[in-house]
Amino acid sequence: MKKLAIGIYAALTVALMIWGFYQAVYVAPTDAMQGEIFRIIFYHVPSAMVAFLFFAISLTGSIGYLSFRRNRPRWAQISDAWALSGAEVGVVFCTVVLTTGPLWGRRAWGIWWTWDARLTTTLVLWLIYVSYLLLRRFAAGPQVQTLAAVLGIFGALDVPIVYMSNRWWRTQHPGPVFGGAQGSGMDPSMVPAFLWNILAWLAWGILILLLRYHVERQHQKIAAAEAQQALDA
Amino acid sequence: MDQAAILDHQFRIAAYVVTWVIQLGYLAWLGLRWQAQKREAARLTRGPR
Repeated sequence: MKKLAIGIYAALTVALMIWGFYQAVYVAPTDAMQGEIFRIIFYHVPSAMVAFLFFAISLTGSIGYLSFRRNRPRWAQISDAWALSGAEVGVVFCTVVLTTGPLWGRRAWGIWWTWDARLTTTLVLWLIYVSYLLLRRFAAGPQVQTLAAVLGIFGALDVPIVYMSNRWWRTQHPGPVFGGAQGSGMDPSMVPAFLWNILAWLAWGILILLLRYHVERQHQKIAAAEAQQALDA
Repeated sequence: MDQAAILDHQFRIAAYVVTWVIQLGYLAWLGLRWQAQKREAARLTRGPR
């Protein structure tokens, strides 16, 4: 039953991705100012939204780990698995943001990169979470999960700064698509394609996140079993 | 199609391809890790040799 549900969800996600691609490439009108390069937005912005959401999941997991680590070890391990999964899949989506953005910038601005507030804070966010993953990968000892949780909480503080950066400061990066000042945003004819792609990338992200969580829980169980065998030996 | 439109088209394709390479590459890595863990779990169930 569980396998069937996962299979149906995966099939729906693939269908959504194909529909999103069709909407982005064939249905949304070409931007009058930017031409076809504008269509990068349909992958770039949803990826940023999903990355933010997953960093928020990582934050929640990190807080949960720190709250439960002394008196509820199972809950602490579950929280830690969510924290790590959210951070790792968030980094994947943030990497997409940081590679598709310069490809758009090269055509729209004539440069690959500029150190404006939005780009710089996004790069800092990516670097913080990459350092979180490196800490998880290479550090050893009983305090690694606690240290990682603290780093995960501090890393998440950068998310609202990234989100607000093009509202607080004058940036070369375009203004907000939603919730910006009057006159910002996109033409209504482009909005359906944009919303379909948000939905598609969110569905894809959740699928990957659930798989990563499952792998991490399996890893925790194997580590616990190995520790038990070592004690029994 | 003028030169600018061709370049726009190529950059758009590059962005989409890069996105899918990153996403599918990560999915493949995750799949390999899952398989390795399944083998490890099976080894542990059989017990130490």
